[in-house]
Amino acid sequence: MSTNKTDDAVAEYLREVEVRLGSLPLLQRRELLADLEAHIAGERAERHVQSEGEVLEILERLGSPEVVAAAAWEEAGTTAPVGPIPRIALAPITRRRRYWPIAVVAGVILLVLLACAALTVSRASSVEQHPVAPVVGTR
Amino acid sequence: MAEVAQLSTSLRRGTLEFCVLAMVEGEDRYGTEIVRRFGEERNLAASEGTIYPLLSRLRRAGWLDSKWSESPAGPPRRYYALTDSGRSALEHFRTEWVSFRQTVDRLVGTGEA
Repeated sequence: MSTNKTDDAVAEYLREVEVRLGSLPLLQRRELLADLEAHIAGERAERHVQSEGEVLEILERLGSPEVVAAAAWEEAGTTAPVGPIPRIALAPITRRRRYWPIAVVAGVILLVLLACAALTVSRASSVEQHPVAPVVGTR
Repeated sequence: MAEVAQLSTSLRRGTLEFCVLAMVEGEDRYGTEIVRRFGEERNLAASEGTIYPLLSRLRRAGWLDSKWSESPAGPPRRYYALTDSGRSALEHFRTEWVSFRQTVDRLVGTGEA
């Protein structure tokens, strides 16, 4: 029962780190998660860690998921901010999705307006041409 | 407090990686070993988990080589070794560091003479 609980804590920790790695290259994400996993497993085995408290201590020494992920971004040479990396990465996508239908509607309206304008112009020019033609014909 | 932390972060940047290289100069070491060693140094102490991204960068830069190896007790360990280019980077740092340190000592007034 307690092993399940500590395993849950470890899995949750790794998941929290992973979420914050966002759009870093896949191999770098996998590498870090594998390193952290090996670190935790190694510490547990070498220090004969049993209790949940001791496992949490290992995780605390590793640092919060925010801190570890921020280090990964920094070492990757990416100028991603320390805090809300996933949110910043996702924001443009959700925004694009939201504005997409509006853009389509606007495009359709614009097309209709253009069509109307073209019709008006062609009608006006044909009206203009009528009086001119007879004049030419009478000469 | 925040300023003290900021200062040590700034000082660590650019020097910590060479401490890592020096640590595997004599013999190959595995990740947790390196991490623990840093934990013992108060001036360098950072969250243990932040060392792994650093090791990753040094490996990608070609200064470190790594390979997984079975451990006598517990899960496999990832051992890091200094490459030739890592070795020359470390030598270069040593030369630079000495003259850099001397200049700072002279300007800041921390030198011995």
